[in-house]
Amino acid sequence: MGNSVSKTLGKIFGSREMKILMLGLDNAGKTTILYKLKLDQIKTFAPTVGFIVETVSYKNVKFNMWDVAGQERLRPLWRHYFPATTALIFVIDSGDIDRLNEAKEELYSIISEKEMENVVLLVWANKQDMKNAKNPREISDFLQLGQNLRNQLWCVIGSNALTGQGLVEGLSWISNNTKGRKN
Amino acid sequence: MSQGIYLGEGPVRRPQATGNPLLRKIQRSCRLSLPEPDLALNLDVADYINDKQGACPRDAVIAIVKLINSRDTHTAIFALSLLDVLVKNCGYPLHLQISRKEFLNELVKRFPEHPPLRYSKVQKLILTAIEEWYQTLCKHASYKDDLGYIRDMHRLLKYKGYIFPKINESDLAVLRPNDQLKTPSEIQKEQEVAQAAKLEELIRRGKPEDLREANKLMKVMAGFKQDNVNDAKQSILSELNKLKRKADLLNDMLSSAEEVDIQNDTIVSLFSSLKSAQPKFLKIIQEEQEDESLVQDLLQFNDTVNQLLEKFDLFKIGNKEAASHINPSSISSATTSTGAAGGALANEINLIDFDDETDSQDPSTSSTGNQNGLQGESVTDLLSDLNELSISSNSNMPNFGAGGSISLGAAEPAVPVTTTPTNYSNTNDVDLLGGFSAPSTSGTAPQAKSNSFDLLGDFSSPSPISSTTQRTLVNRSDNLKIEFEIHRESDSTLKVKTFFSNTSANAISNLNFLLAVPKTMTLRLQPQTGSFVGSFAQDAVSQESWIDNAMVNVGKALKIKWKATYSFEGKPVEETAVFTFSEV
Repeated sequence: MGNSVSKTLGKIFGSREMKILMLGLDNAGKTTILYKLKLDQIKTFAPTVGFIVETVSYKNVKFNMWDVAGQERLRPLWRHYFPATTALIFVIDSGDIDRLNEAKEELYSIISEKEMENVVLLVWANKQDMKNAKNPREISDFLQLGQNLRNQLWCVIGSNALTGQGLVEGLSWISNNTKGRKN
Repeated sequence: MSQGIYLGEGPVRRPQATGNPLLRKIQRSCRLSLPEPDLALNLDVADYINDKQGACPRDAVIAIVKLINSRDTHTAIFALSLLDVLVKNCGYPLHLQISRKEFLNELVKRFPEHPPLRYSKVQKLILTAIEEWYQTLCKHASYKDDLGYIRDMHRLLKYKGYIFPKINESDLAVLRPNDQLKTPSEIQKEQEVAQAAKLEELIRRGKPEDLREANKLMKVMAGFKQDNVNDAKQSILSELNKLKRKADLLNDMLSSAEEVDIQNDTIVSLFSSLKSAQPKFLKIIQEEQEDESLVQDLLQFNDTVNQLLEKFDLFKIGNKEAASHINPSSISSATTSTGAAGGALANEINLIDFDDETDSQDPSTSSTGNQNGLQGESVTDLLSDLNELSISSNSNMPNFGAGGSISLGAAEPAVPVTTTPTNYSNTNDVDLLGGFSAPSTSGTAPQAKSNSFDLLGDFSSPSPISSTTQRTLVNRSDNLKIEFEIHRESDSTLKVKTFFSNTSANAISNLNFLLAVPKTMTLRLQPQTGSFVGSFAQDAVSQESWIDNAMVNVGKALKIKWKATYSFEGKPVEETAVFTFSEV
C-alpha cells in the first residue's frame, strides 16, 4: 500500500527505481563500494556470505543494489538473483592480475544467460590506487567486450572505493543509459 | 565450474526464436482445436519446466491462471487440466507458486462473493483442485509450512459458503508422498531444486524478512551442505526401516496364513514396494561405500528381500510346498534401531487382521504408524484428524488469519471466532471478569472461578464435577511450564484455563499461546492476561478458553494441539505438541 503510494508519487516527480546486481570475484571490493556509496564510509569487511541489499539514491533514481558474495562456492547461486535486473555491475580487482582471466570467465558466463540479455553492463575496474593496477583501458581490452557484445550497452569505468573515484560516474552512466526502460 | 570463454566465435548471444517457448507450449496444450486435454502435450510442458527451472514455474503458473480466467470455457478447462499435470509432476517449485497469495487470488477471481446456486464447470474444477491440494499438499508434503495460503484460501472459500466436492482416494494418492527408497544423490538433487526455487521466490518477494530468510538459505545452499548430507542420510535410514517392516509384514503374511491369498491387496502392495525398492539398494551401496555398517545392513536386507520375492513367486505359481521352505529371518527386530518398531509392528499386524478396529486404536499406534506408509487408510485418517486441527487464536493477534488478506471481493478474515449463542454470552462476560480479577495468584484462581460459576448457576446445568478443578501439567520445558485447569461446564462444553509459569531465571516475553481443537468442535479463546512472565514467576499469565461441542463419553479421547511462542534471552522460541485429555 505505502509502496504503491510512493511509486505513484515517484511517477509524478519523475523518479525511478531499478534493481542493480553487483557481482564479481571475492575480494574485488563490492561490499566496500556499496557502503562507500550508501554511507560514504570506509570499513573493512569480512568476506560477505550470502548477500546484502541496500538502496542508494542518486539524483532522482533509487538504485536497489544487490551485492552478492563472490566466493567460488557461492557463485553457482548467482543465477538466482538474475530475474528482473536492470543493470549488472561487475567489479574487478584491477590489481589482481592472476585472477583477471577467472573474472573474465565468470563475467561471460553471467552475461550469456538468457535472463541477462537486456541488462546494461557496467564494469568497475576497482582498486585503481594499487601500484600494479591495470587501467580501465587495459581492462576493457582484456575483456574484449567490444568484440563480443553487440546488442548490449556496456562500459568500463576505473574506480577506487576508498576515495569514491568513479563510483558516481558509474551510477550516472547507468541512469543515463536506462532511461525509458520500464522497471 | 568455470566454463571456457567463447571468444572469437561470433557473438555470445545465442540466436533465439521469437517468443517464449514455455508460453508457446502452454498455448499449444490449451488450444481450441484439441478435442480433449492432451496428456502428452501437458507432460511436455512439465518436462520443460523441470528442465529449465528458474522463473519457469512462476511464468507457467501465471500464464495458466490467465487462461483459466479467460471467457472461453474450453480453454479454461484445458488450462486446469494442464495445471493439474504440472502440480503432480513438477514438485516443490511449482507447489510454491500455486501457494502464492497472488496466484490463489487470481484463481478465484471469477468467483462471486456468494456461492451461486449451481457451480459452473470451471468453478467446480477449481474447487476440486483446491480441495485436492488442501487434502494432500497441505497435509503431507514435507514443506507444508510454505503452503499456508492454500489452507487459508480453502478456509476462506468455506467460510463464504462454497462447498468442496469430494475427491476420490485414488486421485489423492498421487500427491501423497511416496515412500520410495532414494539414493543419497537423488535426495540431494531434490533438495537443491527445492532450495533454489525457494531462494528465488524469496528474492522476488524482497521484503526484509524474506531477504533475511534468503540469506540464511543461501548459506545452507552454499557449501555449508553438511546439513543436507545428514538430512539425506536420515531419510534413507527411515525409508529403509519402513521397508524392513514391510518385509517383515510380508513374511508374516506369507508364512502364517493357511491359505495365502496372492490377490490380497496388502500383499500385492507390499510385494510391489519391495520389488521396486530393490534396484536402489545397489545404487545406495555404490554411493555410500565408506559407510560399512550401512552396506552390510543393506546386503543382508537384500538377501531377505530376494527370498521373500522368491517365496511370493512360488505361491503365485501354486507351489506351496517349496514356498514353505523359504523362511527368511525377521529383519526389523534384528536391527538395532527398531526396538520400538517391534512393538509397533505387532500392532500393525493386528490392525491388518482386524481392519475394522481403527476407532478403538490406541493413540500410541497412531504416532508410530506415522512412520509407516503402508497402513495407509486408518493411520492417515487419524493423522489427518490432527493435521486438520487449525490453530485458532483470539482477536488480539493482528497477523493471524492471513486469509483475511486473500481478497474475495470484500476482505473478510476467516477468523475462527464463533458467534456465541446467547446463553453463553453471559457466561463469557462474567468469566472474563473473573479471569481478570485473579490474574496471577494460583491459590485464588480456582476460588474466583467457582464464584463466577455460582453467578451463572441459572444458565448452565449444574454439574457435580464443578468444584473439583485440578491442574494438569501440559508441558514443562526448560523455561516455561504450562498447566491446564480443565473443568466441564455442561455436557458439551469444556472450560480450559491455561496457566503459564516461568521455571528459569530469565524472563519470558512476547508470550503467545495458540490452541486448536478438532473440526467438530469450536473453540472460544479469551485474551491472555499478559505476555510477560518474569523469572520464576508462578502463574504470571493465564488464559481462559471454552471448547464447545465436546461431548461426554464419546469414547475417543479429546486431543488438542497447542503452540506457544515467546522470546527468551532475546531469541524466539516455539513449543508445540498435542495434548490428550483424560476423560472429564
